[in-house]
Amino acid sequence: MVNSKACEELDTKVIKTGLCTLCGACVGNCPYLAAYEGRVLLKDVCDLPQGRCQAACPRISLDLDELSEVVFGGPYPEDGLGTARYVVMARTTDSKIRARAQDAGAVTALMKFAMEEGFINSAILTSFEDKSWPRGIVASNDEQILKCSGSSYLAAPTIESFNQVIQNPNHQSIGFIGTPCQVMALVKMRTAPPEISQNLDKLKLIVGLFCTWALAYPDFGRFLEKKISDPVVRYEVPPHPANVLSAYTDKERFSFSIDEVLPFVRPACRFCLDLTAEFADLSVGGGRGEVLNWNTVVIRTERGMRLFDSAAKKGVIETAPIPEGNLSRLKAAAYNKKKRAIENIIQRTGCTDDLLYLKGRPGIIKRLVAECREGSL
Amino acid sequence: MSGIAVNAPQTIQLLMGNEAIARGALEAGVGVAAAYPGTPSTDIIDSLADVAKDLNLYVEWSVNEKVALEVAAGASLGGVRALTAMKQLGLNVALDFLANVSLTGIKSGLVLVVCDDPGALSSTNEQDSRNIAKMFDLPLLEPATAQEAKDMTKWAFELSEQISNVCLVRSVTRISHARGNVVLGELREVSARASFDTTQKPYTTIMGGAPQYHRVLHENLTKIAQIFESSPFNGYAGPERPELLIITCGTGWLYSWEAIKMLSLQDSVGILKLGTTWPLPGELVKRHMMKAEKILVVEEVDAFLENNLKVLAVDSLPGRDRIFYGKHSGHINPFGEINTDIVIRALTNILNTKYIIRDEAYRQKATEILNRYVVFRETQFCPGCPHRGLFWALKDSLRLDGQEGVLTGDIGCYGSGVGSTGFKQLKTMHSMGSGIGVANGLGKLEQFGFKQPVLATCGDSTFFHAAIPALINGIHSKANFILLLLDNSGTAMTGFQPHPGIPMNAVGDPAPAVDIGDLCRGLGVPVEIVDPYDIEDTTQKLLNVLRHSGRPRVIISQRECSLMRARSEKPLYQMDVVAHQCQGETCGCNRFCTRVFRCPGLMWNTNTKKVEIDQAICVGCGVCVDICPQSAITRKEIR
Repeated sequence: MVNSKACEELDTKVIKTGLCTLCGACVGNCPYLAAYEGRVLLKDVCDLPQGRCQAACPRISLDLDELSEVVFGGPYPEDGLGTARYVVMARTTDSKIRARAQDAGAVTALMKFAMEEGFINSAILTSFEDKSWPRGIVASNDEQILKCSGSSYLAAPTIESFNQVIQNPNHQSIGFIGTPCQVMALVKMRTAPPEISQNLDKLKLIVGLFCTWALAYPDFGRFLEKKISDPVVRYEVPPHPANVLSAYTDKERFSFSIDEVLPFVRPACRFCLDLTAEFADLSVGGGRGEVLNWNTVVIRTERGMRLFDSAAKKGVIETAPIPEGNLSRLKAAAYNKKKRAIENIIQRTGCTDDLLYLKGRPGIIKRLVAECREGSL
Repeated sequence: MSGIAVNAPQTIQLLMGNEAIARGALEAGVGVAAAYPGTPSTDIIDSLADVAKDLNLYVEWSVNEKVALEVAAGASLGGVRALTAMKQLGLNVALDFLANVSLTGIKSGLVLVVCDDPGALSSTNEQDSRNIAKMFDLPLLEPATAQEAKDMTKWAFELSEQISNVCLVRSVTRISHARGNVVLGELREVSARASFDTTQKPYTTIMGGAPQYHRVLHENLTKIAQIFESSPFNGYAGPERPELLIITCGTGWLYSWEAIKMLSLQDSVGILKLGTTWPLPGELVKRHMMKAEKILVVEEVDAFLENNLKVLAVDSLPGRDRIFYGKHSGHINPFGEINTDIVIRALTNILNTKYIIRDEAYRQKATEILNRYVVFRETQFCPGCPHRGLFWALKDSLRLDGQEGVLTGDIGCYGSGVGSTGFKQLKTMHSMGSGIGVANGLGKLEQFGFKQPVLATCGDSTFFHAAIPALINGIHSKANFILLLLDNSGTAMTGFQPHPGIPMNAVGDPAPAVDIGDLCRGLGVPVEIVDPYDIEDTTQKLLNVLRHSGRPRVIISQRECSLMRARSEKPLYQMDVVAHQCQGETCGCNRFCTRVFRCPGLMWNTNTKKVEIDQAICVGCGVCVDICPQSAITRKEIR
């Protein structure tokens, strides 16, 4: 479409079709779009044919090879885990972090360390309170970082906060913790024209979080309101085979079977290929089996590796090798997420030529499309 | 002393038509004047208020037109000459009382001036109020000049007393707002012997007998028609037996004269000018109609005169072929204003002659020059208008809320909220107070599946004028709506007249103010106050209130009209643009400040392609600081 308006196209092709991940990349520095209570919406009519919104949105178009080239200097890999230097188990040595953390506190510990060591001077994190909708915040000290540990499993427009501070001269080196969709958006922004990407070199560290799905506000919030009257202080999805989502108040734990929770998953998650935040500097997830109380960490980039090694050397985190079975299970899970996404995309478009937002055909995508085609025969 | 109160008979003053009407009232010894402001009638009471203290008059801005007429009627019954003035829409508000008082009659002279607005230059409708005089059997005078505006108003008091009833004077925008030379008469002192005669039979038709009163009205009309036969406001000029007779009144008279002069038709076309248009001076009119076979009726808006003339011709001049031209023949437009060109076109068409009104080359050149130098300006809120902030917050909150809230409204500055200056938020706009009434209806549709929140805007003056009964209605019916009271501390649209919520009266004396918030709270409605200059807080409060439904709620947006404020106070802020921070066309905001927010105080410099503050008109409200995504606009407090 030659003369289409960027904003409106985003609205009709991404937001209204349920492809929007609520990553927040299009909001925060655009006066036309806003994120509010779990959705992105168009507040006013912008008639620009091109804009920041499309340049940032990972769901209007995404070229995996291009992103891979920007971050790793090479094409999108065949491995389901993305480009990785090595995978290792890690956990914080700080008991204060451990007490609040989702798994083993590696994310919080690494971010705190990055700030203490001057890798970054501010961090964009996701904060949630009780059952309300989570939002991005800008943290500039330990205490603020610690307050954000843990997840609400709700999708959050965290990049909005990043967009709001990116031009502020007080924020010269910024760290970001986010989900795979958010990481993709940040990396896509780096491929944009200079007026959009000009300050992105301030982004010194991206810590990605493993993610299978995110829940939608306000629907899930309303669901919880009905079940839990006290404030929720922590959420947890314990590893297989628990198959529950637990919400903790100060007094007790409420567990809901995953089947009960799945209807609240954002529709956009069905089309997501990325389990392990493949374009982050390092990606962190939970542990299972013999390393249950550890984090799984995928070290991806040079700077990710430098930070991680330095943190390990200074005893901020302790590390352990990943058990062989865990690595293969992780790779299989990552591959399966891609496969489900491709299946859902093809089901939506009705043909294998149109993969919605995915532009370009890296080898692994070709393979997945072929598998889908065979599966349907 | 003001021009209208100068006591210098036979001298000439340059007066606006409305001032001339006020002067006429003074020359008639008017004691009481009451009105609700409404363009084009407002200056009548404004100018009487200016001289009220010096001349010992009582002048008030009433809560609405019906009350104003009642106040004037009360004064008349108490033996004091009284005047009320209103625009055509205001007359509709007063009609219920007029329908009654016209039957029971009055005592001292009571003149009702109605200023129509042909072309609806500042109105939501275009109506010919002359029909009201006919409907209620009341005498009607139509001035054609400022001089007549004064003289007719003065005479109207005498006529009123001759029939003990209301006399109507109908002006239009071009009479009320134009200036002309007026030869002054004597000022008459106001009688100071006011009293109500309690021995007289009551002023009412309730004991039966309305038809009897009605009969008296018709007898009065006959009497008045007799008087009108010899009125100096009627007259003929032209040849003894004209080829074409123009019968005209009001603005049509000068347009007709000009047309005849331009076409050099003085020898073939005559003009019968009528100043007394209801009841018609039948004999006078018949005498002239008999001398012509072609009659062109030139009048503004409805075919009022034309239809009455045709009835007269059918009744009194049988068997004569006579062709009427005017509204029905399509020669004079029955809507919008008329002008000399229109009369010229009618004359050349009827008389089959040619006249080039405007040379085509000249017309093209004029259009070209106009397009080059005249900046296109849409109807918009003034710089710093509190309504802009409120409508912005409203737009944002309705979008964020996502329930497709509907905003109804009524007439006032905020009525421009239907356009881009109000971000096209207002979806219905009718009469005074109608927004809340319509919201009452929409707010009761839940049982039919209606799910959208309903909001109504209403100004502070309008609230007192016509919205209170609708609010009470909504409370009693548990209608689901939010009333947004846009309190800008005055009747801003007509020129900042006070209303009952203002601690000052029409003549500038302190007066008890009725607090809108207290009044609403007293009715048992939850009330929240917001500052429309604080967009974020206002948006949040609107979002909160949109969540709760089931009964009326009131939000009062409080900020004085920025124009009123600028008269007495310095701006709040010195506004500037940090040029290096404004990224102009590379920002990606797509000129958000000037294209979407659209305050006239913000200018897009087409050379630098960046925004600038128009310091000449900026009033320093500071709101645009919160609009710019790059924080390029700054505000510095002025002390």
